[in-house]
Amino acid sequence: MDTITLAGPLEAKLRAIKDAGFTQVMLNAREIVGHPKGDAQAIAAVKASGLRVTGFQVLRDFEGLSGHLHAYKVDVAKAMLAMCRALGSTVLLACSSSSAHASGESEVLVKDLQKLATLAVPLGIKIAYEALSWGRHVNQAMQSWELVQEADRANLGLCLDSFHILAHDTDLAVLEEIDVAKIFLVQLSDFLWQETRTPDERIETARHYRVFPGEGVHTDQVYDMVRRLDKLGYRGDYSFEVFNDDYRQLPLSMVANRARESVKRITSVMARRSLPRRPTAR
Amino acid sequence: MTIEEPIPEPLNPLGIDGIEFIEYTTSQPQAFGALLQQMGFTAMARHRSREIMLYRQGTMNLVVNSHEVSHSTPEVAAIALRVRDAGAAFRHTVDLGAWDMPTRASAMELHIPGIHGVGESLIHFVDRYKEFSIYDVDFVPLAGTAPNPPAIANLHWFGVVQAILSDRTADWLDFYQRLFGFTVLPAGKYFGVVPKGTLLESPCHKFYLQLVEPPPGMDDVYWEEGLLRVGLGAPDIALATRALKERGIIFVDRGDVQPSNRGALTQIYLGGVTFELVASHLKP
Repeated sequence: MDTITLAGPLEAKLRAIKDAGFTQVMLNAREIVGHPKGDAQAIAAVKASGLRVTGFQVLRDFEGLSGHLHAYKVDVAKAMLAMCRALGSTVLLACSSSSAHASGESEVLVKDLQKLATLAVPLGIKIAYEALSWGRHVNQAMQSWELVQEADRANLGLCLDSFHILAHDTDLAVLEEIDVAKIFLVQLSDFLWQETRTPDERIETARHYRVFPGEGVHTDQVYDMVRRLDKLGYRGDYSFEVFNDDYRQLPLSMVANRARESVKRITSVMARRSLPRRPTAR
Repeated sequence: MTIEEPIPEPLNPLGIDGIEFIEYTTSQPQAFGALLQQMGFTAMARHRSREIMLYRQGTMNLVVNSHEVSHSTPEVAAIALRVRDAGAAFRHTVDLGAWDMPTRASAMELHIPGIHGVGESLIHFVDRYKEFSIYDVDFVPLAGTAPNPPAIANLHWFGVVQAILSDRTADWLDFYQRLFGFTVLPAGKYFGVVPKGTLLESPCHKFYLQLVEPPPGMDDVYWEEGLLRVGLGAPDIALATRALKERGIIFVDRGDVQPSNRGALTQIYLGGVTFELVASHLKP
């Protein structure tokens, strides 16, 4: 589960996630620096929870900038990497830039992603690059994959988010073109509308109306995505990336239990496929 | 007619030209200094403003830093690389994603730029090694020491062994290849008595780095990333081990790492420091 789905203080979120049977948590930087007792206390709370940190998010608008904007973002990236390491997370999520100041030249984007990956090496962190569906130049999963391939760094890979993929009505067959070893994280969510036509609609939906897989109208596509990734050999982490205003005003245990029910639905779908066929009596 | 194309020399973007010095940190500089003297190093000079000593043997400079150090077991804390232009090397690596290191120089001391390496270690860049010695500026020589103490059995820097976590070899190969121009030696090509991990050759062909992941099945062993030990090259291992044994150095003499014509490994001293001797083709 991701802490962004739940309301309340960090400790309560961690407890609710653990009580619902989850063993991992995806953490947001705001949870850590916004802790009333400071970031050191927040990090201690995460460590004390016994939950493994799936990843840390989110570095925004890093690539494509120049001059002082680039230098500023490098400082931001270094601070995010340091927090990521302090939390014991080995994955930092970096979203494709939505900045109007960012270049779209692939040469520039590749160079910046290489730099980010190099910054992460001494800290033992992998960069999971994700195409935001409203990214200015990179907004489709295959575009992010092309850049990751071109950058060619061992610790640079992809985060695939079902929302951003489905919001563009992407044909899931394209997943087969991605080297599964370079998928560092998969984020799952469903959402409540059939279509999101404009970038503004996608932003609005992504930030307020996502639900757990099985609760929206794209359930079959989310299952299909998981099934395809499983078939391709993906054995990495999944996380629910569910931004939902309602969930942030409901009891934590209730929301965490809805997440658990979603996991059950997904695993039952997967189990049916994965189980070997019973031998039939003659 | 065929034209044989020359094999292109690997790029050396920083103009790396060997190791200028290796820095250790320890809170017990005297005990470590005694060990270094047994290993053939001579105490040369004391830093002007901090608790740092310079040792030398032949072409090797070794710095022992005890300034605000809390751990007693000596650790390899930094590698100083000779480069064409230290400022340019610093800017080049930082531009590609290295973490810059804040300067520690006091007034009238040399500013030696550097970047973060593995674990807590640093990589310094030194360019003024031909026309004068950087140590003449920051260090006060000890009385009665010859400036160039000879090396025992022609010992010289051969390389540094770096411990890395599981599945991290590819990450560190990227780091050393892309930032510095190191090249990977073919699998199975090793020097010394510890044929493990991956060997990288410096673009100047003057030293090596060995990356070692934890051995399989050693999940319960505490393993963290860092510079593990230095390798000292020797043209004749038997001669070198004999000379060092006479000075009281003890070598591991059992199992795979017992002294051979390939190399030798000292016992563990001061809670965790070892030196490796490696049969060397390098010209110091």
